[in-house]
Amino acid sequence: MQEHNISKGNFEQCLKCNICTQVCPMFEVNPHYPGPKQAGPDGERYRLKDPSFFDLTLKYCLNCKSCEVACPSGVKVGDIIQIARLKYGRQSNPLRDRMLASTDLVGTVASVLAPVANPILAFGPAKRVMDIFGVDHRRTFPKYSGEKFEQWFKKNAAPAQSRFKEHVAYFHGCYVNYNYPQLGKDFVKVMNACGYGVSLLEKERCCGVALISNGFGKQAAVQAAQNVDSIRKAGAPVLTTSSTCTFTIRDEYRNVLGLDCADMASTVELAVKWIYEKIASGKVNLRFRPDFHLKVVYHTACHMQKLGWALFSQELLKMIPGVELVVPEQHCCGIAGTFGFKKENYGYSQAIGQPLFDSLLAAGADAVATDCETCKWQIESGTGIPVLNPISILAMALLTD
Amino acid sequence: MKFDVVIIGGGKSGTLAAYKLARAGKRCAVVSAGHCLGKTFRREFIALGGTFLNGDRVTGGNVEGGRVQYVRTENLGENTVLEAGHFILCTGKFFSRGLISTIANIYEPVFGCDVLYAQDRSEWTVDDFFAKQPFENFGLRVDDSSRVYVGGNVISNLYAAGEILAGEVDIEQSVEKVCRNII
Amino acid sequence: MAESSSFDVIIIGGGITGVGTARDCALRGLKVLLLEKADLTNGASGRNHGLLHSGARYAVTDMESAAECIRENRIIRQIASNCVEQTEGLFITLPQDDLQYQALFVERCREAGIDAREIDPAMARAMEPSVNPSLIGAVKVPDASVDPFRLASANALDAANHGAQIRTYCEVLSLLKDSGAVVGVRYFDRKKKETLCAYAPVTVNAAGIWGQTIAAMAGCEIKMLPAKGSLLVFGHRVNKMVINRCRKPSNADILVPGDVVCVIGTTSDKVGLDECDNIKVTPAEVELLLREGCSLAPELENTRILRAYAGVRPLVASDDDPTGRSTSRGIVLLDHETRDGVPGFISITGGKLTSYRLMAEQTANLVCRKLGVNRKCLTATEPLPGSEKHSNPDRELSIAFKAAEGRHGSLTGKMDFSQKSEVLCECEHVTRAEIAYAVKTLGVRNMIDLRRRTRVGMGTCQGSFCIKKVAEALACELGCPEMEQEFIREYVQERWKGMTPVCWGDSLREAEYMRKQIGRNINDEI
Repeated sequence: MQEHNISKGNFEQCLKCNICTQVCPMFEVNPHYPGPKQAGPDGERYRLKDPSFFDLTLKYCLNCKSCEVACPSGVKVGDIIQIARLKYGRQSNPLRDRMLASTDLVGTVASVLAPVANPILAFGPAKRVMDIFGVDHRRTFPKYSGEKFEQWFKKNAAPAQSRFKEHVAYFHGCYVNYNYPQLGKDFVKVMNACGYGVSLLEKERCCGVALISNGFGKQAAVQAAQNVDSIRKAGAPVLTTSSTCTFTIRDEYRNVLGLDCADMASTVELAVKWIYEKIASGKVNLRFRPDFHLKVVYHTACHMQKLGWALFSQELLKMIPGVELVVPEQHCCGIAGTFGFKKENYGYSQAIGQPLFDSLLAAGADAVATDCETCKWQIESGTGIPVLNPISILAMALLTD
Repeated sequence: MKFDVVIIGGGKSGTLAAYKLARAGKRCAVVSAGHCLGKTFRREFIALGGTFLNGDRVTGGNVEGGRVQYVRTENLGENTVLEAGHFILCTGKFFSRGLISTIANIYEPVFGCDVLYAQDRSEWTVDDFFAKQPFENFGLRVDDSSRVYVGGNVISNLYAAGEILAGEVDIEQSVEKVCRNII
Repeated sequence: MAESSSFDVIIIGGGITGVGTARDCALRGLKVLLLEKADLTNGASGRNHGLLHSGARYAVTDMESAAECIRENRIIRQIASNCVEQTEGLFITLPQDDLQYQALFVERCREAGIDAREIDPAMARAMEPSVNPSLIGAVKVPDASVDPFRLASANALDAANHGAQIRTYCEVLSLLKDSGAVVGVRYFDRKKKETLCAYAPVTVNAAGIWGQTIAAMAGCEIKMLPAKGSLLVFGHRVNKMVINRCRKPSNADILVPGDVVCVIGTTSDKVGLDECDNIKVTPAEVELLLREGCSLAPELENTRILRAYAGVRPLVASDDDPTGRSTSRGIVLLDHETRDGVPGFISITGGKLTSYRLMAEQTANLVCRKLGVNRKCLTATEPLPGSEKHSNPDRELSIAFKAAEGRHGSLTGKMDFSQKSEVLCECEHVTRAEIAYAVKTLGVRNMIDLRRRTRVGMGTCQGSFCIKKVAEALACELGCPEMEQEFIREYVQERWKGMTPVCWGDSLREAEYMRKQIGRNINDEI
């Protein structure tokens, strides 16, 4: 009896030390946000008594999980807030939110219309129109690729994969598929160099992180269930190149959506971790070009910090002889996925990201390396420095015969 | 991953120890479960090339022949361990969960080190809030070199520093003692 | 001499019975003085279970009490709606209990006028998910949860609104007699630090457990059988409905939800009168309460325990039963003129929180008879302040306003949220505005008084996070900034008393944190 104290999300374990509030990037810049302690465990006690105690300011939570990383009591502050938002939250601009969150739908349409869509999205007056709908005009949408990654893969890469004895499955995610297939191509190149063939999942949907944060819990659960099903069918380890996709599938699916999928934690892995482990154990040996030089400053994405895997990315980059790696103090970039696209949030996003931009610029590097695609957009627009996924850097540096 | 020293706990004593050892040229890793006090030392430590694992927890270690061979952490997973010649346990007292208390007992969760405490729970506190509380002096039993005991036996390369120690603790002194023994 | 020292009735004791009587008399137009040596609800009224009995618990063993309870239960729900949460209750039979008792129980409830409904265990599990799933029988009854602090506060407020003088921190030193009759009291005003006298043709002894001492001042003997009861407060509200054990009343068989927590209780042990001001919860009691609580709601096994507290029941001896359990909880109204030949003096004791209004009515009736006043009792129908109908809570209102509204009902409108909206106690959402209101209108003089009115420090941090900010604000509102340190000291010591019996797990971690924050004043480099 009383061996451990347990409560949902551990909200009752909160000692009110307020360390979470001290590290919350939103609390620092936004006087309206009560902070993770109040929004999370404090609020939860009252919401259990009466749901009308739900506070609309919870919409400011970035879901960065910095609070959880810092908490000495193991309180799942971020999860408590997200679950409350899904349960009791209200959307202020449902049409816009649905558009931002439905990455598969928008991505498919925009890819088809890419030659037309891209210039429109970058066009000043069109951006003003978007601004009226609630998407800040200062925010630039990433370009859409005319050919989806899945299309490219099936045509160009799939046939060659059969020559490999061992395989991995690839959860490519929306960014690779609709905007930047190059990262997917880099991944295939690296995996093949490791001696592994790549296959796609039977059916992949967007991981749903944007649906969750925008309050579309039901739709998120539907897509999650489809992904879990496909992942289970894959049979091989399932790798990703996005820290957020990995985190969402491994953790948010069961902790926030309540899906029964604890096995995802061992099946789905971030590629950098998997590759590092294979090299460290001697199973894989990569060779790098002697003429490859790059000064890289590494940015730990918030979800990467929560996973605790930045070390793997960093160690992998350090294995490349020509890479000079700088690792500054971690700081949130401020975009938080679709959050920073919204007009009412733009100011906060930029205020949060500014210190990061300053420290990245101060490093004087050729490129920023990070595992998260939305961090990439934010940092590129905030600093002008090119941002590369570590897998892309590996691909560039590989010695191929 | 191989290091000279793995410091378990990134609080005041952990970051101070890490900084001192890094300054002395040791390759160190710190595993810190939560927000770390001692931000300045942490920054200096990282600038010296130290590895700081933030938001991670050591779940247990492999002890063979009276020595710790390696430790595992929650985030690094099954396939990566931290090996080192020396390990320092600086996980603090109850607040930071370096010591765990239940209705019946108190124990150290990582290695099961021997803890000095009153067996009768009613002796853990005294009525006067402003007087020193007995639980504030509970902690690990260590030998003259500040090495811990498990089941009555000394672990030759596992040291303890900071608030996790029993009795009145001077953090700087306890860290200094451990570092001297390692360097 | 004080401005007014002449009253129709003097009431000694600021517990629920005392303030209830003050209200009843004041509503009948009498000039009332109430004297309380500490703060309102300092005794049993502030240390009970917070349960508005349906009476079901007494139906088998004490039919009269049961019938009394259900009548009063219905009245209190009406007149004190912002102090009562209509949770309803369950009486559950577990596999180790005698299911035959349930049938008898239901029958007796019906006889007493209590709406007791047998329900299927599966239905009970659906209504109350936290209930022990192994239950074999369940009966639904109209139990409710009541906040005794708010209830007493509302009574005192209404009494004052009708001209009564409610003086806290005034301790009665002796009764003034003239020709063998009690004509007034001599008391020490702790705030003004002076001894004063007050006169009235009737003096009411509503001093609860201290009633024996007061009665002795008049040369009358009342034998109190103080029975200590211990309870545990859990960190969050595990159950929606009150959960009782369907068996002969025993220890620790009620789990009451209250606001954002739940409370398991009680035990019953005889204690000496001299121990009553300094009772402590023992480890054995903690273990018993926890064990029995877990059989009602298994989730409690892993729920954090915030604190333990104990109160003393003011039971009057009729026979010498050592546990005090089978003693009738009936109302004991003593007219010392007929009983002891001492005119002008009445004692009201026994009873329970649920029947306070009836106790007050009976007392006020006797007072009026002695004064030759012919006025009807209005307390059964007049709503208490805060319980008047008010508009539904709007989702756009701040959390703090809604929390305050939950505590003070319609009176929340009197708080100055525009100027003082800063939240000081974050666990319970208490703002500076609420603190200012409590000082101005509710007679708050220190942190403990404040806690009773506003829930400050009653959250999971037990004050470790907020106490400095709140003490500073309170001292400021009271106009005595120099008292800040003393407030902190006094309050934290009081919180500590409740934490030490349950100091393990997260509560020990909280204790360590509290000591660092307040006890040792260390500035950590963050």
